[in-house]
Amino acid sequence: MAAPLLKLSAVGKDYAKTDHNAARIRLVFDLLRGRGVAHAFRALDDVSFELAPGESLGIIGENGAGKSTLLKIVAGVITPTRGRVAVHGRVGALLELGSGFHPEYTGLANIDLAAALLGLAPTEIAAKREEIIAFADIGSHIHDPIKHYSSGMVVRLGFAVATALTPDVLITDEVLAVGDESFQKKCIAWMERYLQGGGTLLLCSHSMYHVQKLCRNALWLKGGRVERYGASADVTQSYLAYHEEKSAGAKQPISPHRAAAEGVYAIQSLVLDPGAHIESGGALTVSGNIFSPDGRAPVILLGVVRADGTPVYGVASDMDGVAPTRIDDREFSFRLTFPALPLLPGKYLIRAHALDPEGVRLFDNVEQTFTVEGDTRELGLVRIAHRWHDGVDSAVASDRRLGTR
Amino acid sequence: MSSIPDHLPPRREASAAVSFARDRALFANFFQRELFSRYLGSISGLAWALLHPLALLAVYHFVFTTIFRAGAMNGKSFLIFVAVALWPWLAAQEALQRGTVSIASHAGLIRKVAFPHELVVYASIAATLTLQLVGYLCVLLVLALFGEPVHFEGLLLALPLWIILAVAVAGLALALAALQVFVKDIEHILMPVLMILMYLTPILYPLTLVPEGMKPWVAANPFGYLVDRLRDALLDGKLALQWGDAAAVIVALALFAAGRWVFLRLSPHFEDFV
Repeated sequence: MAAPLLKLSAVGKDYAKTDHNAARIRLVFDLLRGRGVAHAFRALDDVSFELAPGESLGIIGENGAGKSTLLKIVAGVITPTRGRVAVHGRVGALLELGSGFHPEYTGLANIDLAAALLGLAPTEIAAKREEIIAFADIGSHIHDPIKHYSSGMVVRLGFAVATALTPDVLITDEVLAVGDESFQKKCIAWMERYLQGGGTLLLCSHSMYHVQKLCRNALWLKGGRVERYGASADVTQSYLAYHEEKSAGAKQPISPHRAAAEGVYAIQSLVLDPGAHIESGGALTVSGNIFSPDGRAPVILLGVVRADGTPVYGVASDMDGVAPTRIDDREFSFRLTFPALPLLPGKYLIRAHALDPEGVRLFDNVEQTFTVEGDTRELGLVRIAHRWHDGVDSAVASDRRLGTR
Repeated sequence: MSSIPDHLPPRREASAAVSFARDRALFANFFQRELFSRYLGSISGLAWALLHPLALLAVYHFVFTTIFRAGAMNGKSFLIFVAVALWPWLAAQEALQRGTVSIASHAGLIRKVAFPHELVVYASIAATLTLQLVGYLCVLLVLALFGEPVHFEGLLLALPLWIILAVAVAGLALALAALQVFVKDIEHILMPVLMILMYLTPILYPLTLVPEGMKPWVAANPFGYLVDRLRDALLDGKLALQWGDAAAVIVALALFAAGRWVFLRLSPHFEDFV
């Protein structure tokens, strides 16, 4: 196994909390005396990982989780408060917009500065300059001060500079989202070429698509700590599931007893079979009992909803012309099976409503969450039946047709 | 020391020679940018840099010789007596002010790229002092052409004195630049403090005019000593070294070491405050 390019061991970073001048002056004295920071905010705590050559890592997490701090530590811009960072190779960093450009200077002057920062000799700079200008492709704006650039142009130049030096590790923050469509394609194409050529990427992104596409592993930061670290498909799925759950909020199922006491149509139980975890494409059976205050058969409405509240599918018993089965004077049961649920992996819930026999008034709302598991990179909510038509396939198909004749 | 973490930024991977070459190239880049963009890039910038001392010199000349009717100073005309001392003072003052804000004005870089932060302080001081030294030589030349007695062989001593001044200013600027990152008032306090110091230094008057009781206090000013030596060299052509010159070198190196110590202690935390 190759030696790691990058090794972080129990890395942590504290930021001093100084809201007024007196605190800053005290901080200066503490630092001069070689003391640590007294009132600190833990931006990052106990983060460890290794990055072998050619093994790319995606950093994901909510805003303020410490992603940028982590990238800056790897880039050497900030010194960690605790732990160790070992880097073996040239690091190219593209942090935030226009990584370290000076707004007053022209694009050309900034190229020279960036190259000098990366340790290139003046002759090497001259050789690379044309290549960088061609990749950035911003025309005569290269002679204008950076402050007159659009954010897209800054990113183009930044990407061109960071990549022209083919670093051993390329660190990029959320930058792919800024350039226009054609430049984004150019960047992705460059990155794929770079990765195929054995390059290593440390990517920080809110786009799970990019993380899954470009990175083998992912690291989920939450509150400055590693929440999960592993294969990018697993980590991004659990991260998305966490988000869906969070945005939906905690909704308590309504107590069936209370509903019964108030004399309304109410769902008394809701059971999922095989349980709260099912395989993508597997069967799911939903069953339960409904209370009817006047003994008439109510209408049951069942829906599949993603955990963030996005409706996926809903159907009512009266739409299909069926009625719940009577099991008592004022109690009915229902049972519905989805034989092959085409949901993609993630967190979902089954939502059940009891309606009056006319199917007009909606009385009750009971939910059960479940998780769909699976190993797939498909996007969206459901798997839609599909078929590809490529050249080979149609040729085979036509041969077969000829052969049968 | 437990508070200094065992971090290996990428540049420390390279051998000392490679990283020195990089730092030198980076310094050259900062120095050029400072010189060209701030002074030579804009006409007003260059004009201001050279006109400011000239205008001050003219005003002092008018006020002291025409209004106060000051006579010769130590046997020299007031104009040349003041010019030799005022210019280095203003150069040092401007270098200190620019050096103090140099870290803050490179905030974008410091937040995003790993490099030795002290380079921007050095570049800003070097650019200011280089330009002011050229201005100084021009003024001496012009005054000599108008018949003022300038001993140009005195430059053999005057130039090393400028280097001693540069080392001392670099030390002060390193400390002030680091403190400025945390306490933004430094920049504003600096101007009046320097103004007061200027009048307490024998620039507009010779030490001989200072009353006996206060003389030791005024003489203790290290900048006053440098001014005295510049006058010895350029106005009297006295080139003999004194023991005090060795002391000046030691004081300058001590200031530099102390300033750099403060700077290096604080610089790992710049990213959070600039």
